[in-house]
Amino acid sequence: MKQIVFLLVPLLSSCAVYDAVTMTGFDPNEYRIITEIRVDAAYYKDGCANPLIAQTNAVAMARKTELYQVYSEQIPNNTDSFKAATSLNEIAQGLAKRYDSPPVPALFCKLKYNSIESSARVIQHVIGNRPR
Amino acid sequence: MTLDQIQQTLAQIATSGDPTFSQFASDINQVVEQAKAGQMSPQDTAEILRDAQRQLAILDDMTQLQFKETLNTCITGLIMIAGAV
Repeated sequence: MKQIVFLLVPLLSSCAVYDAVTMTGFDPNEYRIITEIRVDAAYYKDGCANPLIAQTNAVAMARKTELYQVYSEQIPNNTDSFKAATSLNEIAQGLAKRYDSPPVPALFCKLKYNSIESSARVIQHVIGNRPR
Repeated sequence: MTLDQIQQTLAQIATSGDPTFSQFASDINQVVEQAKAGQMSPQDTAEILRDAQRQLAILDDMTQLQFKETLNTCITGLIMIAGAV
């Protein structure tokens, strides 16, 4: 078994292994926010046909994805997660901004929420598997 | 590449059976069809397609993270085994 430890020593010098060892652990707050984003996106999709509700929902979603991005930003060794949070926030901000020039087609709104929901599901899955 | 060629390529990916990208390519092809039918403006279509690129970036970032998680689990396991012997 000592051979395994000797094998690990040179391996630890490689960046990928170093990143894996020093990676940030499971963060319940981060997991909760991404779960809320996923669930909200699934519900908000149904309100796309009503312009008043849809705009309120879009602003609420943009606030939450911004919260997620800002929360992820200062967690050490969290680069991949922060990059994903930034992309997710861009999707949501694009929807909220679109309501500045109405009318917004319900189809556009639904497709935006589809993108947010499926991206949030991918992120949630990976964040949920972080070492505890 | 013409629009027809792009749609053909997307259709090939959609029927490839890939668990991640088949549905993704199919969704993009549907967006293009809806745009052709005049259900969405070119600006809105472009924004939805940019979202598709953002989704690919998220997928890439999360694949990297998942790889590190798997590696971390393996290393932790090896350390535990080495410590026990």
